[in-house]
Amino acid sequence: MNSVQSQQTRTSQRLLRKRSAINAVAMVLSCAAAVFGLVFLGWILWTTLSKGLVGIDWALFTQSTPPPQESGGLANAFFGSAVMCGLAIVMGAPLGIAAGTWLSEYAGARRIGMVVRFVNDILLSAPSIVLGLFVYTLVVAQMGTGFSAIAGAISLAFIVIPVIVRTTDEMLRLVPAQMREAALSLGVPQWKVIVQVLYRGASAGIVTGILLALARISGETAPLLFTSFGNQYWSTDLASPMASVPVVMNQFTASPYESWHTLAWAGALVLTFFVLVLSLLARAILSRNKVRHD
Amino acid sequence: MTELAFSMNAPVVAHSPRPTAANATAKMSARRLNFHYDRFHAIKDVSLDIAENRVTALIGPSGCGKSTLLRTFNRIYSIYPKQVASGELLLDGENILHPKYSLNQLRSKVGMVFQKPVPFPMTIFENVAYAIRHYEKLSKAEMNLRVEQALNQAALWDEVKDKLKQSALGLSGGQQQRLCIARAVALKPDVLLLDEPTSALDPIATSRIEQLIAELAGEFTIAIVTHNMQQAARCSDFTAFMYLGELVEFGPTEKLFTQPGKKQTEDYITGRFG
Repeated sequence: MNSVQSQQTRTSQRLLRKRSAINAVAMVLSCAAAVFGLVFLGWILWTTLSKGLVGIDWALFTQSTPPPQESGGLANAFFGSAVMCGLAIVMGAPLGIAAGTWLSEYAGARRIGMVVRFVNDILLSAPSIVLGLFVYTLVVAQMGTGFSAIAGAISLAFIVIPVIVRTTDEMLRLVPAQMREAALSLGVPQWKVIVQVLYRGASAGIVTGILLALARISGETAPLLFTSFGNQYWSTDLASPMASVPVVMNQFTASPYESWHTLAWAGALVLTFFVLVLSLLARAILSRNKVRHD
Repeated sequence: MTELAFSMNAPVVAHSPRPTAANATAKMSARRLNFHYDRFHAIKDVSLDIAENRVTALIGPSGCGKSTLLRTFNRIYSIYPKQVASGELLLDGENILHPKYSLNQLRSKVGMVFQKPVPFPMTIFENVAYAIRHYEKLSKAEMNLRVEQALNQAALWDEVKDKLKQSALGLSGGQQQRLCIARAVALKPDVLLLDEPTSALDPIATSRIEQLIAELAGEFTIAIVTHNMQQAARCSDFTAFMYLGELVEFGPTEKLFTQPGKKQTEDYITGRFG
């Protein structure tokens, strides 16, 4: 009896040691992987910060892009990016929310819904340069006006739509089915239930989706190359070419001029900071609402 | 109004402050009602009457079809594809399963409260006022009165009167469930369907709701699904026992619990299965 017991104790101790060892190895590996990822993020942030801070001054936000070896700022690019991103959200968000609502509330598990959801996922991962070319042939080449801010905004809207479709669809599906039943059981028609009850329940998620879409397009370069092109001067005309931060960065970093490099890094820093703030904002909105969903 | 489908000679429910099981008329009647979830036959040829201004309890083991039956009474199932009811289901003599019967009208007459309290993500006041606004144009004062009435009927007014503008999601589970009852009674429906309204609540909140059911019974026709037999015995006038989609026995609660007519009913209420 005793020997059996001590045998068991020894076996369990051996198993425990083995499991502890495996646990330790797994822990070390996963920590190493996390550190590996974080190191590069830190490195990127550090490089952006150290090279970008030099170029941050008042002129950066008040003057337009300079000719080579003169001083200037990125005011026209910041303005252009804001205008085109804003327009893209204005065009894309209602469409995306409407399509996401249709997917979640009307299509449900029907085949057509699954097909649309699948196609949307493809669009979500479509290379943005392809979307740029598409808008180039559809708008820029057809209109005869050539490159324009509005074409740039349209190409960005194509990136916005699938992101918002996906988040709206997912966030609405997170609203418990009982909420729909409770609202519909009051005899209120479905569209009212969606707009007045379900959107409220999913609002935090939908807003987060919009913010993330904004963060995504604010750094997009490729779709703007063939659409809004770029503009050296301050321009508010939506029908003519317009500067944008990513396109200017693309142009300036490829140049041999030191002053352009500095401006490009400063632009990178501002852009990174903007995206960071958007992400934090999205996170804050989501976590503030999380408690209320239980 | 037709006479109820079973004998009325049963002993009356003792201690009931309401009119008793006798003299009841049918508010809703199921006639050979069948229900399918796609190919699954969930309710089989059920005929029963829900007595006007009385409480009718539906009991039976899990999956017996009691909730499904309740969900046909306001056709809430119809928001899901592949769920089909057939047969007749009469409300005041009209077949509500008829495709021409207005769904919104039906649901304004037949209110429902669900197992899990689901307050809408808005203020306490708005939760109650929300559906009223859809049906009636009321002045601010009238609306305030209406909301107060409904919250009073749901025995919630005293607890929330100072925080009507606060989110309903901050209420306790029991308060949320009473808010859901207020939301349903605010539309002045004829029938109230309660689908296991206390199964997510603690004993104190449960007794509060049971008390409320007794108070509401004078004014509304109530059908309650419960897995708690004591609850059915405590707060209903009539009880229907269902098993595997069939109505096994239906009669005055007192009789069903003291002299069940069928072996299956007796086995279930004495806890031998289920």
